[in-house]
Amino acid sequence: MWTTSCTNKSTVTPYDPTPYEIEIPFGFPTKLNIPADNPMTVEGVELGRYLFYDRRFSGRTHPDSLMSCATCHRQERSFEAGVDHPGFPGGFPHGITGIPTPHAMLPMINLVWNTTGYGWNGLLYPTNPNPDARNIEDFVRMAALAPHEVNGDTTRIKNLFQTIPGYPELFEKAFGSKTITFTNIGKAIAQFARTLISANSKFDQYMNGEVQLSQSELNGYMLFTTEDGGDCFHCHGGFGNPLFTTHLFYNNGKDTVFNDARDRFAITGDPMDHGAYKATTLRNIELTGPYMHDGRFATIEEVIDFYSTGVLSSPSISPLMHHVNNGGVRLTPQEKADLFSFIHTLQDDDFMTNPKFGKPDKFPDE
Amino acid sequence: MDKLFRQRIQLLFFIAFTWCIISFSGCDSKTDNAEPTTGKLTLHFSHKIDSESIVFDDMRYVNAAGNHYLVNEIQYFISDVTLFHSNGTSLLLDQWEDIHYVDTDLPETQNYIFKDDIPQGIYDSISFTFGISEEKNHSLMFVNPPESFMFWPENLGGGYHYLKLNGKWLNELNQEAPFNFHLGIGQIYHSYPDSITSYVQNYFTVHFPVSAFGVKAGETQTLELVMNVENWFQSPNIYNHDTYGGDIMQKQEVMALAVENGWNVFSIEFMTYK
Repeated sequence: MWTTSCTNKSTVTPYDPTPYEIEIPFGFPTKLNIPADNPMTVEGVELGRYLFYDRRFSGRTHPDSLMSCATCHRQERSFEAGVDHPGFPGGFPHGITGIPTPHAMLPMINLVWNTTGYGWNGLLYPTNPNPDARNIEDFVRMAALAPHEVNGDTTRIKNLFQTIPGYPELFEKAFGSKTITFTNIGKAIAQFARTLISANSKFDQYMNGEVQLSQSELNGYMLFTTEDGGDCFHCHGGFGNPLFTTHLFYNNGKDTVFNDARDRFAITGDPMDHGAYKATTLRNIELTGPYMHDGRFATIEEVIDFYSTGVLSSPSISPLMHHVNNGGVRLTPQEKADLFSFIHTLQDDDFMTNPKFGKPDKFPDE
Repeated sequence: MDKLFRQRIQLLFFIAFTWCIISFSGCDSKTDNAEPTTGKLTLHFSHKIDSESIVFDDMRYVNAAGNHYLVNEIQYFISDVTLFHSNGTSLLLDQWEDIHYVDTDLPETQNYIFKDDIPQGIYDSISFTFGISEEKNHSLMFVNPPESFMFWPENLGGGYHYLKLNGKWLNELNQEAPFNFHLGIGQIYHSYPDSITSYVQNYFTVHFPVSAFGVKAGETQTLELVMNVENWFQSPNIYNHDTYGGDIMQKQEVMALAVENGWNVFSIEFMTYK
């Protein structure tokens, strides 16, 4: 009996995942938003990458009914759709049934440093009393269910992956069980999403003393970081905040009437949050149009024009928009060109081609 | 074998019993020597206008220049908190973590709980640096939010904002106009805005000369430190938003007025023991 028992035990693969260490780029925060019940592991990230790209995430197998995260989140567009997306004209995505998403897409990079809330209005945040609306894991479930995204069924999705050869073994390595749950699907995709770190732009190299900026880029940097210039830095960061966002929410003066049921006011109930949305990171921003929560601007030039002369006053406009009564920061054409040059230095081309973030060469059953 | 076994058991019990006696005696003697001689100190921050707690986002206030204004948020650093003992000595608290961030939107920042044990006794007064001294104000020393969001641009002197006081006022055209009353390192320009010849450290010391308080052994003394916001705008300089506009980070002459007005912005309102 003893011998038999020992033999049986020795055939069980011990659950021993390898911790995944996130390297903190120069100047980046050391505090990471990783939930305690989903520690990063090499196996979890690997599985998450498969699931992120596997179009059977729709829970269906018919060729017309396939959809994955990567259907909209394209690596070459810094994991947004981009204005040149072949299926979403202008970069406005819609779900598998054709229903458009209520907002334009948000950057899907450096998410592990977002501690204030995911989404344009920050609906998912770590201290949310609703335990199903706290982090990226919950975003995965919401995306799977939403009619304007996958329009799926979590039971059907996890049952489908359970039947695909190779996946149960990957789940066992990542989570200790071959039995696939949607909770673990969400955890794996969230782990992969947290590895999408973009921190090797020309400006990063300038911060590290490796390259020099051109005179136009330096002029733009000066405009970016001065109140009498473009005054971008209070919301969008800079040398001291290389995330290039505060992840906070501002009414930046786009409108005077607010009737979007998904603005920051919907979360806080604070009248000063009418028309307020997350300040997005400006890293790789040139690739991630259209811009603003409703995608009203197709190009960076249009955005700069807006901040220069198109800002509108309202009772809830952020006090940081202190040029509002002049319509904006009133940049000259040369200043606009310089500011654009600086913003271009925030583009990390290596990130867009990094094979660690790309589609796997083959899926587990291939 | 049984006898030997019993002897060993008895010996083990004897050793254990003796150890217990010695241990408890030791504990007793330690207790005798453990009379606390130190206490703790906490600063609680509050923010008022005209002696009342601020009602944020409400255009209900009038400053000394007659500007109607509202306050949206206040964020600032204090550092180098020092206690002056009645015996003539002074004590710099938490020397290695001595910069504290206060944010009116973040209640957890509104208590500064010092880690240091503070000798019991009567302290004549307390002082602190408003902002961060030149010696300590280095860029990227805070990489985590919310402190990192206070960074002061490198090309304006670097380091961190000492203060962000954001609000709106009714300007001469009766429009709501945002103001960013921000303090940090100032610049002296040769030609504005491209040529800076030198920088000005605008941090300053706040000292409460008549602020005697006691620290009791084994207890925590809490002092309420009040920022009286209207005082930023009234003495000795009448601060008119219509004159100085919505932003002052690149206007050293205006930041200098604000620094001069900072002398009586803070007060200590009450003290309690716990």
